[in-house]
Amino acid sequence: MNFRVVRSLSIATVLLISSTGIGQEVVSVEQKQKSRIETIRRISPSVVCVMPPGGGGGGSGVLISADGYAISNYHVTSGSGNFMKCGLNDGRVYDAVIVGIDPTGDVALIKLLGREDFPFCTPGNSDLVKAGDEVLALGNPFLLASDFTPTVTYGIVSGVNRYQYPANSFLEYTDCIQIDASINPGNSGGPLFDINGRWIGINGRASFEKRGRINSGAAYAISVRQIQLFIDQLKSGRIVDHGRTDFTVTTSSDGLIEVQEVSQISDAWRRGLRPGDELISFGDRSLKSANDLKNILGIYPAGTRVPMTYRNREGVRKVYVRLSPLHGFEAAPPIPQEAEPKRPEDPDGQPNPEDPHAEEEAVVPPEYAHLFVEKKGFANFYYNQQMQDRILVPLQQMLSAGSTGGTSTWVLQLKHPVAKIETPGELLVGATAAGLLGDNWPISHQQIDKLDASNEPLEFWGLLTGTMQLHRLFLNDLSLFSSVHYHGTDTLQPSGETVRVIVIQDDARVVRWYFDDRSPLPIGVDTLIGVGNDESRLRFRDWDTSGEIPWPQEIGVVNSDTEEVTWLEVLNFELRKTARAAMSGAAGSEVKS
Amino acid sequence: MSSLKFFVSAVVLLTCSHVFADTTQTDVVIVDRQSSIVKLFGAGVGNLDSYGTGVLISDKGHVATVWNHLVNTGFLTAVVADGRRFSVQVVGTSLEHDLAILKIDSEDDDVFSFVDIQAPGSVFPGQSVYAFSNVFHVATGNEPVSVVHGIVACESTLDAGLGRWQFPVKSPVYILDAITNNSGAAGGLLTSVNGEPLGLLGREIRHRGSNMWVNYAVPWKTLRPVVAAILAGERVAASKEPVKDSPPVSDRRLTSTFGITLMPEVLDNTPAYIDRVIPGSPAKASGFRRGDLVLMVNDAVIQSVESLQKELGGIRSGQRVTITVNREGSIVVLPIRVP
Repeated sequence: MNFRVVRSLSIATVLLISSTGIGQEVVSVEQKQKSRIETIRRISPSVVCVMPPGGGGGGSGVLISADGYAISNYHVTSGSGNFMKCGLNDGRVYDAVIVGIDPTGDVALIKLLGREDFPFCTPGNSDLVKAGDEVLALGNPFLLASDFTPTVTYGIVSGVNRYQYPANSFLEYTDCIQIDASINPGNSGGPLFDINGRWIGINGRASFEKRGRINSGAAYAISVRQIQLFIDQLKSGRIVDHGRTDFTVTTSSDGLIEVQEVSQISDAWRRGLRPGDELISFGDRSLKSANDLKNILGIYPAGTRVPMTYRNREGVRKVYVRLSPLHGFEAAPPIPQEAEPKRPEDPDGQPNPEDPHAEEEAVVPPEYAHLFVEKKGFANFYYNQQMQDRILVPLQQMLSAGSTGGTSTWVLQLKHPVAKIETPGELLVGATAAGLLGDNWPISHQQIDKLDASNEPLEFWGLLTGTMQLHRLFLNDLSLFSSVHYHGTDTLQPSGETVRVIVIQDDARVVRWYFDDRSPLPIGVDTLIGVGNDESRLRFRDWDTSGEIPWPQEIGVVNSDTEEVTWLEVLNFELRKTARAAMSGAAGSEVKS
Repeated sequence: MSSLKFFVSAVVLLTCSHVFADTTQTDVVIVDRQSSIVKLFGAGVGNLDSYGTGVLISDKGHVATVWNHLVNTGFLTAVVADGRRFSVQVVGTSLEHDLAILKIDSEDDDVFSFVDIQAPGSVFPGQSVYAFSNVFHVATGNEPVSVVHGIVACESTLDAGLGRWQFPVKSPVYILDAITNNSGAAGGLLTSVNGEPLGLLGREIRHRGSNMWVNYAVPWKTLRPVVAAILAGERVAASKEPVKDSPPVSDRRLTSTFGITLMPEVLDNTPAYIDRVIPGSPAKASGFRRGDLVLMVNDAVIQSVESLQKELGGIRSGQRVTITVNREGSIVVLPIRVP
C-alpha cells in the first residue's frame, strides 16, 4: 500500500512538471493559430491571379514591388500572350504586361499596371529553409475564387535542394523546395511563404501520377534565392538564359566529384582544370554529388562569374569561371502541352460560361500598347530600351560636351606599380589602335583589325584592348556597334560590387560595360577578344571630369588567374589631334626593335 | 482511486505534449529519422516501380519493408542516408503481415543508425504524424528522403487491395490523411512528431468499398513480434513462399507462349482485342481468332489489356482456364491450358 502511494506521488510530480509545460503549449497553439491567420491576412494582398485576356485558364503570381512587378511561372504566362489580366484580393482586375522570361527556370516577370502603390511581399532567405518547416502556399487553384481572394494551403517542407529533370521540355527545377502543401492546377506561379509570411518560393511543379493532375503530396517550388539572382536580368526585358560549365563531372566510386571532360576553349581550362581533378565547391557551396553541381548551376544566369574550388596534384585552387549560355533562346519557346495548367474546362477549350473571370476585352489595352516592343532575343524590348536610356543617355550627355575628344588620340602617362621603375609609361589610345611605350615598360601595340591576345603587355594583360574599347565608346556613336543591350545587374568580380551591365557587340568583340548608380561613367569593362582567350578586364576609378572629356585617374587591370587588380595611376591625360601618325610610327618602330 | 485518476490524466497530458513539439526539436527529429531510412532499388515490373523504401531496424543493417514486387525481383540495392550503396539479401517474409525483413550486405565494422521498434510509440486519431519515404525517387544518393505531415485519421481494419491482390493484415492499421499512397513510398516510416516509430507505410492499394487510394501504415506493435520471429529464424525466406502478387504477363510472353498479340496499349484501359494469333500456337489450337475481344478469364471480368495481363500473370503454368471472348457480337468460350 505504501509502495503504491509513493508511486502515485512520483507520477504526480512528473505530472506537475509536464502540465506547466503543456499549459504554455496550449496557449502557444492558440497564439500560433492567431498569428497564422494574421499572417495570411497580411500576405494575401500580394497574391496575383494571372489570366489570359479572354479568360479560360490561368495561374497565380506574387507582387514583389509597389510599382507592380510580379513573379509567375513561365508556363503560366507563355499561354497568355504579351498582355494579361491580373486579379488581386481587393477584387479588382488590373492589366499586366510581360517584362522578362526565364524559360529554363520556368520564371516570368510581369508588371501590373495602373498603380504605383501595389501591395507586395517580403522575401525571406530560402537558403535557410529546412525539411519540416511549416509553409503556406497561396494562389488560385482551380480558379476557385471569383473575388480573387487567394486559396491558402498549409504544409511542411518535405525536402530542400531537390533537382527535377526537365521532363519532356526545357523546364528544369534545380535546387528547389519540395512541399506537401496541396498544389493543384492554377497554383502555378503562386508564392510559397514560410509560416512567418516571408516569401521563399514560387510553386510551379508537382509529381502528378495515378490521380491525374491534382495534388499528390509532392510539389516543388523554385527558391527565392534563384529568382533573386535572375530578377534584375528579367527586368531587362530579355529572354534570360541559364548557364553551363563547359566541363563535366562524375561521382567517383569513393564519393569524390571527379572532373571528366573539360572544353579546351573554356575559362575552366584556362584556370587549369583538367580531367581527373576533384571539384570541391561551386558557387561557394561544397559538393557532395554530381547532382549537387546541377542544383547549384541551375540558380545562376548565363554569363555569371561563379567561384569554384578544385584539387589537383599541386593542391587546392579557387578560381572564377564565366558560365556559357545553356540554350540561347532567340524567341520565347513554346511549352509542351501537358505542362500547361488548365482548369477542368469544356472539351472544346472555349471559355467556360460559368467562369466569372471570363471577359470579352481587347487583347492589347490601347492605353498600354506602347509598353510592349517585340525584338528577337527579348521578351519585351520596351523595358530594355528604358534601362538603356537610363544608363546611356546621361553618359552621352556627358560626352557630347567634349565631342571632339573621342576622335583624337589619347595620351595617358601611367605610373608603374613597381616603385623603383620611375619612368612613366606612355599609353596611346585611338579608336582603332593602342600602344604602350616607356623605359622598363612592356612595349606593345594592338590594332583593332588584327586583334591578338599575344599583343597585350604581359604584366598588364588586356590594357590595350580595354582602353581602345573605352575610346570607341567615347566616340559617342552607338550606331558603330552591331548591337547594344542592357543585360541587367551582375556582381562584378573581384570587387563584388553590384553593377548594371550594358553589353555591346562590336564586330567580333563582346564588350560588357559596368555602371554603378553613383556616376554616369563606367566603372569597368570586360572585352572578349575572341573564343579561347581570357577577357580583357579593366576597372576605372576617380574620373576627372574637369577637362574636355572625362578620364579615369586610375585604371585597374584584372588578372584572371589570380583575380587581383593591378592599379595604374594616370599621371596625365591629353588629347593629341595629330597623334595618329606619330603614335603608329612610334609604337610601330618600338615594337620592331 | 485518486492515484488511478492521476495516472490516466498523466497519460493524456503526456500524449498531448507530443502533438505540439517545438520547432527546434522538429528539425532534430526529422534529420534523425531520415538517417534511418534506406532507398531501395530493384527491378520494376510492368507498371510497377523499380524503387521503394525501407526502415533500418538494427545497427547491423536489418531493414523492414513491405513485401512487394521489389523484394520478389531478387536483386536489391539499398542506399543508406550518407549515400553508401549496398546489396541486400532477404532474411525472411510474412505474407500475413505484408512484411519483408532484409539485411544489408555490410562489413563487420559497418554500423547503421536505426529505428528502435522494440519501443514503438502509440498514437490516437487526430494526432500529428510524419511519414518518411523515398517517394517518387525525388531524393538520390545522400539526399535526405522526403517527409510529409498529417494526422492519424483512425485506427481500423482495412479491406483493400489492388486487382486480385488482397491486403492481408487482419489487425487494425493506421489510416492517414497525409498522401503516402505514392510510388516508392511503401516501406517508409511513420512516426509521431517526436520521432517515435509508429508504423511501416503501406503500399499503393485501393479501399474495396470506395475504390479510393488509401493511405495507411501497419503499426510496429503489430509487426514487432513478426520481426522478432523472422530474425529468430522462424520464418523462411521469400523465395520459398508462394508469390501471390505475381507480375503481369508481358506482351512478349503472350506472343511467345500463348501465341497471342494484343492491340497495342496506347491508352489506359485499352480493350483487350486480339490483333494476331500465331499459327501453330496454343491460342490457335484453342480456337482464338484475330478481332476477338477478351471479356473474361474464368470468372474475372477483363476490362483492359492491362487487366488481362495481370489476370493471366496470376495463373500457374499448366493450369486450365476458360477465356470468354466477344466475336462479332456473339459470346464464345474458349478453354486453354496456360503454357
